[in-house]
Amino acid sequence: MADDAAAVHGEASSTVLDVLGEDIIRIVSPVSTCMLLVVLLVSLLSSPSFPSPLSAPFAAAAGTGGGGDDITTALITAVIFVVAVTAATFLIVLLFYLRCTPCLRAYLGFSSLSVLLLLGGQVSLLLLSRLRFALDAVSFALLLPNVAAVLTLAALSPASVPIALHQAALVAIAVLTAFWFTLLPEWTTWALLVAMAVYDLAAVLLPGGPLRVLLELAIERNEEIPALVYEARPIDPHHGQNWRLWRDRNQPDRALDANSTVEVIGEVLERNLDANSSGNLVISATQSEEQANMDGTAGSLRPGETPVPNLSSDSANVLAPPETRVAVAEMRVPLIQTRPQRTRDEDGGDDGIGLSTTGAIKLGLGDFIFYSVLVGRAAMYDYMTVYSCYLAIIAGLGITLLLLAFYRKALPALPVSITLGVVFYVLTRTLLETFVMQCSTNL
Amino acid sequence: MTVAAGVGYALIALGPAFSLFAGVVARKPFLVLTLLTSTLFWLISLIILSGIWRAFLPVRSGAWWPYALLIVTSVAFQEGTRLVFWRLYKKMEEMLDSFADRISKPRLCLTDKMLISLAGGLGHGVAHAVFFCLSLLTPAFGKATFYVEKCSRMPFFLISAIISLGFLVIHTFSMIIAFNGYHERKKSDQVFVPVVHLIASIMTLINLAPGGCMIGTLLLCVMAAATLQYCWRMVWRRLSENQHRQFNN
Repeated sequence: MADDAAAVHGEASSTVLDVLGEDIIRIVSPVSTCMLLVVLLVSLLSSPSFPSPLSAPFAAAAGTGGGGDDITTALITAVIFVVAVTAATFLIVLLFYLRCTPCLRAYLGFSSLSVLLLLGGQVSLLLLSRLRFALDAVSFALLLPNVAAVLTLAALSPASVPIALHQAALVAIAVLTAFWFTLLPEWTTWALLVAMAVYDLAAVLLPGGPLRVLLELAIERNEEIPALVYEARPIDPHHGQNWRLWRDRNQPDRALDANSTVEVIGEVLERNLDANSSGNLVISATQSEEQANMDGTAGSLRPGETPVPNLSSDSANVLAPPETRVAVAEMRVPLIQTRPQRTRDEDGGDDGIGLSTTGAIKLGLGDFIFYSVLVGRAAMYDYMTVYSCYLAIIAGLGITLLLLAFYRKALPALPVSITLGVVFYVLTRTLLETFVMQCSTNL
Repeated sequence: MTVAAGVGYALIALGPAFSLFAGVVARKPFLVLTLLTSTLFWLISLIILSGIWRAFLPVRSGAWWPYALLIVTSVAFQEGTRLVFWRLYKKMEEMLDSFADRISKPRLCLTDKMLISLAGGLGHGVAHAVFFCLSLLTPAFGKATFYVEKCSRMPFFLISAIISLGFLVIHTFSMIIAFNGYHERKKSDQVFVPVVHLIASIMTLINLAPGGCMIGTLLLCVMAAATLQYCWRMVWRRLSENQHRQFNN
């Protein structure tokens, strides 16, 4: 009796409420932090008198009088960008096919370093002048390369640095790249976002899409692709509850990993929709542990690095600096969750039993960047749009995770969130704002 | 009036929400998800409302009856949305219970259900406070302040912050009362929530009269205190009943 009373008050046993949802929060928090930092940077640094460094080339190239901010220019720019990213991704596929991993890793290092050094230096200079922070040139010249080098190393080799530093480095790279993108003219930014969402959808789901080819190559070869992905690992990698013994998948009552909300949702959805299912977890096609290292998948302990092909700068005069586009191309990774079934040492048999960590959700850095670009651009209008777009993007991320739990294959993380974000931006700007202003200003 | 004032107004409106979040909601990740879902849900309801009313705005006349109509329809719509929210919550509760059976953990107990309804209500309150107060606060971070004609004694931002605080409290705790009312099928709880919402909203019409904002804001705080008191009594009653039941078992 007394035990029941104690249990009811929740002190002795933990209920379902304590257990669910943690991994989703662990991916939502860094996305939110990245968006918050970009919004802060945009609010601090953008002012009408600050000319966008990228709009001048646009105006020159387009030759229009409107400062290059009309719809045709925007569409053309977006299409050129998508074509460039596609070409870059195919180049990566080629390099991966030729087993040129050192090239990929070198490009990855080069792109991270250039983003942190060049973009980071520019943003720091802008911040220093805006906040009137007293820092002399010598200290700055000492600090910047050191910080950039440390963060690059942290981003590239997570095994040798504390996980928090690795995650912070990834978020820093995402924030800087996203801030750079918000400097584009308005229509161009929106066209770019929509184009990238469509490209993501095509690249991951169509049979000929570069990202899908990359995934299949990696599965086939059982290799890891170097990629810049954010892995929502717990801070303590040896968290007691995360090590589980996986039983064979044909057994009816396998142990559910209660810590993984995505798995739970997938389980519940399957049982709800398929009455005949005995609740077995369907193992996704992308199963190898190395596969888990790839594009936005879950489960592996070793996140990958982003390969960064070096685009030739001849076609890039009008557009964003090559390093940025190159970096972005590599960070375009779909969102997948895998259930790594076996460790690398065991052979793949049907009754393979192995140890695996709990599936942590992995999200490609490109997703971070484009979410933050959307929110940053919304911040340039008003804060109300920021809140709506933030909620829309988180909702989109949640929906994508639901779909992930349901379909259990590689999914693009951009389309749903970007669509919802754009829709909510338009709705807020046209409808909600007048309504709220009307209600509030009359108290 | 500088960053300090802006931050101050934001904290007046959202301070209790932050404390509730840090103390209760942030401990359990599931509640954070509930809060985000709830905020999104009420944002969608606000957008639909503004879509419906867009054709009739802006109201140029100084008369009070268009605003009264606006308020009554908005409150009716939001209470309807609360019922939809309740249905969704029931579905989710079933899913959670079946999952809990699956992994042989105890089912949702009373405190769990109340925590979920608290998170849902907090989402509602935060949605209101953010969209009706926080998004208008951007000028307050600058150098000057703003007074509305009809309320010339307090800055507009201060009034807006206090009103949002009142509504945040009302929304948060009426969600707990409402969920309890739907669950126990008690008519008094079910009726209390829409009535309080309506009265509180109508009271803001007092602000339309010159100098009325002092009275209106004060009455709103009284309503918020009344909601708090009612919720406290109800929760106390349910928890002690539950405890007695456990002992008797």
